[in-house]
Amino acid sequence: MSHTIMRSFAIFVILCSAGSLTQLRAQISVQGGNPLMSVTTGTAGAQPVSVTNAATSLRWRKQNVITKITVSTSCPGQRFTLTVLATNLTYGVAAPQVTLFNGMPATNFVLNIPTGNPVHKTCTLQYTASATFAQGNSAELGNDVHAITYTLVAQ
Amino acid sequence: MNGTARAQVYGTGGHTVTMQVSVITSVRVTVGSVNLNISSANVVAGQNQMSVTDQSTSLLWGTNSSLRKVSVSTSLAAPKFTLKLLALNPTVGNAAPQVTLSTSAQDLLLNIGRSSGSCTLLYTGIALVSQGTGNDVHVITFTVAAQ
Repeated sequence: MSHTIMRSFAIFVILCSAGSLTQLRAQISVQGGNPLMSVTTGTAGAQPVSVTNAATSLRWRKQNVITKITVSTSCPGQRFTLTVLATNLTYGVAAPQVTLFNGMPATNFVLNIPTGNPVHKTCTLQYTASATFAQGNSAELGNDVHAITYTLVAQ
Repeated sequence: MNGTARAQVYGTGGHTVTMQVSVITSVRVTVGSVNLNISSANVVAGQNQMSVTDQSTSLLWGTNSSLRKVSVSTSLAAPKFTLKLLALNPTVGNAAPQVTLSTSAQDLLLNIGRSSGSCTLLYTGIALVSQGTGNDVHVITFTVAAQ
């Protein structure tokens, strides 16, 4: 009898934890997949031409307090330069363009997100990839793979 | 008790962004053709050889590959006169010794790998009095190549 109660309690705790995790993830998410950005041209006497990608977006739920979104990345062995800027933002204020570097602290991305409706708010993720000639190429050095995290926190 | 206050986290989301940089090589010469004109002003009494120089053009390059050099060649297989070239004041790398241009590629600059730079092109046209008159028209090609 007591075993049955304990087992039920354990299952309940696991379900609650899974539910909280799901809820945490549901509060903010990236839409549009995982972009591949390729720098392919350059100018003699200058530098390679940077490329921009605005094909993905960020979607998050309103909260009961004013919130902000931070961004960070993990990119071991990073060689090149990647920045991100929030555009097409209708609620909150975009922080200045953020340069993403491996091991960076969580850095402000969107500030002053109000508490009111709509329930879901969005912005476009505008990434810019750039490199110098001196930084080399992926054939010799490999690609930069950024695992980028956006976090919705109370401001 | 830790005095640092942590802000309430409501959720996290993320994705992967992959950045790829192709092998990029670019080389160009600043505008304009070069005219080397040997005239009576270049004649020195008692000497057979006459010469004239020009350094009005520059070479610019960019390469993100390691161990690279710049070589130079001309389209003119049988020139009547002699045309020589030297890279002056390269911002990156080392100038090779002055080359006499031929259809075979010859080193102009060494050790320019993974750089963006420039140098002045110093052309020297040489003619002998005994060679008479005429024109040589060179189409000159600069190539960034593996060293």
